[in-house]
Amino acid sequence: MGQEPVIEVEGLMVERSGSLVIENATFQVMRGDYVGIVGPNGGGKTTLLLAMLGMIPRQGGVVRIFGKDLRNFSEWEKIAFVPQDAINFDSSFPLSVRELVSLGRLSRRTLGRRLGRQDWNEVDAALEFMGISDLSGKRIGELSGGQKQRMFVAMALTRNPEVIILDEPVAGIDAETQEKFYQKMSDLNQKKGITILMVSHDLTAVFCRMSKLICVNRDVNIADIKPGIDPNEILRKAYGEHFHFVFHRHECRGEFSRD
Amino acid sequence: MIDPSVSLMDLFSYQFFQFAIVGGVLAAFACAWIGLFLVLRKEAMVVDGVSHTAFGGIALGLFFGVDPILSALVVSILAVMGISYMRKRGLAQSDSATAVMLALGFSTGLIVISLAGGFSVDIFSYLFGSILSISRSDLTLISVLSLAVLIFLSAFYKELLAITFDEESSRMMGLPVRPLSAVFNLIVAVTIILSIKIIGIILVIALIAIPALATLQLRLSFKRSVIMTILIGIVSTVVGILVSAFYNVATSGVIVFTMVGIYLIVAAYAKLG
Repeated sequence: MGQEPVIEVEGLMVERSGSLVIENATFQVMRGDYVGIVGPNGGGKTTLLLAMLGMIPRQGGVVRIFGKDLRNFSEWEKIAFVPQDAINFDSSFPLSVRELVSLGRLSRRTLGRRLGRQDWNEVDAALEFMGISDLSGKRIGELSGGQKQRMFVAMALTRNPEVIILDEPVAGIDAETQEKFYQKMSDLNQKKGITILMVSHDLTAVFCRMSKLICVNRDVNIADIKPGIDPNEILRKAYGEHFHFVFHRHECRGEFSRD
Repeated sequence: MIDPSVSLMDLFSYQFFQFAIVGGVLAAFACAWIGLFLVLRKEAMVVDGVSHTAFGGIALGLFFGVDPILSALVVSILAVMGISYMRKRGLAQSDSATAVMLALGFSTGLIVISLAGGFSVDIFSYLFGSILSISRSDLTLISVLSLAVLIFLSAFYKELLAITFDEESSRMMGLPVRPLSAVFNLIVAVTIILSIKIIGIILVIALIAIPALATLQLRLSFKRSVIMTILIGIVSTVVGILVSAFYNVATSGVIVFTMVGIYLIVAAYAKLG
C-alpha cells in the first residue's frame, strides 16, 4: 500500500434539505487502498461521495484530491465514478455496449477529436478485462444488472484512472454475480494498482477483500482492516450498540447479529 | 399540377426542382440528426415552441424591412435561451417554459401583423413552407446553415451523446457540459430556421421528431440509429417533393404523411419482428 494520499478530507460538513448529513468527517485514502464504505441506509454514504467529488455543495471542511484543493482540481481523467443509479438508464437508449464503453475515452482534452485505433484498443482491452467482450455488440438495454455494472466499470477503465469510486455497484444482483464482481475489483486493485472506494452493504465482502473501512452514519470513522482487528467498535458507531459482527478471516465468512 | 407527360428526368432539369431537392435533403439531414438528440433528451417539443416563436420573428422582420429569416433566427435563439433560462432558474419545467415562449412569440406575430394591417408577402409560405419556390439566395442560406449544423454535429456528436446519456457523469468526466449544451441550443434554433422554408413553422416539429421516433423502434446501435434517422428524413422529404410536384399538393403535408407512413411500417415491423 502506498503512502501517498490520493484523497484527503478534513472537517467535512454537508447538509441536505436543511439537515446535517455529514458531520466533521476527517480521513485519508492512500494510493492502492481498497476501501469499503459502509453504514445504514440514509446514513450519508452517497452524500459523502458526492461532496468529496464536488458534485454537491459542502458547508465546511477541505477536500484535497492528489494533493490539490478540490476547487483547483482539474485532472478528472484520473478519477472514475460509477454512481448508484448508473444502471437505471432508459433501456430503449440506442447504444451498443462497445459504443457506451468508448464514451469513457472522452475528456476535455480530446474535445471534437475522433476516436483512434489506440482508443478502440483501450475499449476492447477494458471489455476483455471485465469479461464482457462477447457482449460488445449488444444493446445496453438488453444486459442484466450484473452485466451493466461490469460495462460501467469497463467504461471507467478506458480512462486508465488511478482511482475508481463505486456507489453500491452490486445492489440487486445475485450472490454469484456479486462474488465475480468483487473478484474483478480485487484484481483491479492488486494487478493494476488502482485505488478503489466502494459503497457496500456486504460486510463480509468488505472484511474479506478490502484494506480499509469507512463507516458513515453522520459521523465518519475510518479503520484499517488487519488480521486480528475487532471491527465491532467502529461498526457500532454506525449501526448501533446492539450490533455484532463476527468475521472468520480464514474462511472469509462473516456473521451479522443483533442482541 | 405538372403536365402528365413530364418524366422524372425532365423534372430534374427544372431549376426550381433542383433547388427544392438540394435544400430539402440538406434540411432533412440536419433536422433528422439533431432530432435524434432532441428525442433522446425528451426535448422534442422545444422545437414546436421555438418554431412558433419564429413566427413572431418573421412578422417583426417583415414589419421593419429586415430579411424575415434572419429576424426569425434572432428571435428563435432568444426563445431557446429563454426556455433554458426558465428551466435552470426553476421558473418553469421544460414543457411549461416552451408553452410560454410559444404563446409569447405567436402573439407577437399576431400583434405585428395587425399593426401592419397585413403584409403583401405571403406569410402562409412561412407557416406551411414553400420548398418548390425557394430562390437561389434561400438555397444559399439553407446550405450555409445546414453545413454549420452538420460540421458541429460531426465534430461533437460523441460529447453530445455522452451528455444526452448522462449529464452528471459527463460533467464528472471533465466535459464542458454547459458550453456544449448552449451551442447545441443555438444549433437547434438554426436548424428550425433553415427548415421553415422547407416545411413551414407549423410542421417543422415533424421533420425533427418523426424520423428519430421511427428509428428508435428498431433498437439499433447509436451509429446505425443516426444513419437510419437521416435516411428516413431524406427519403420522406424527397418523396414529399416528388409527389407534390407531380400532383400539385402541399409539399409539407406529403412529407409529413410519408414520414408517418414510414413510422407506422417500422413500428409494425418492430412489433412483429
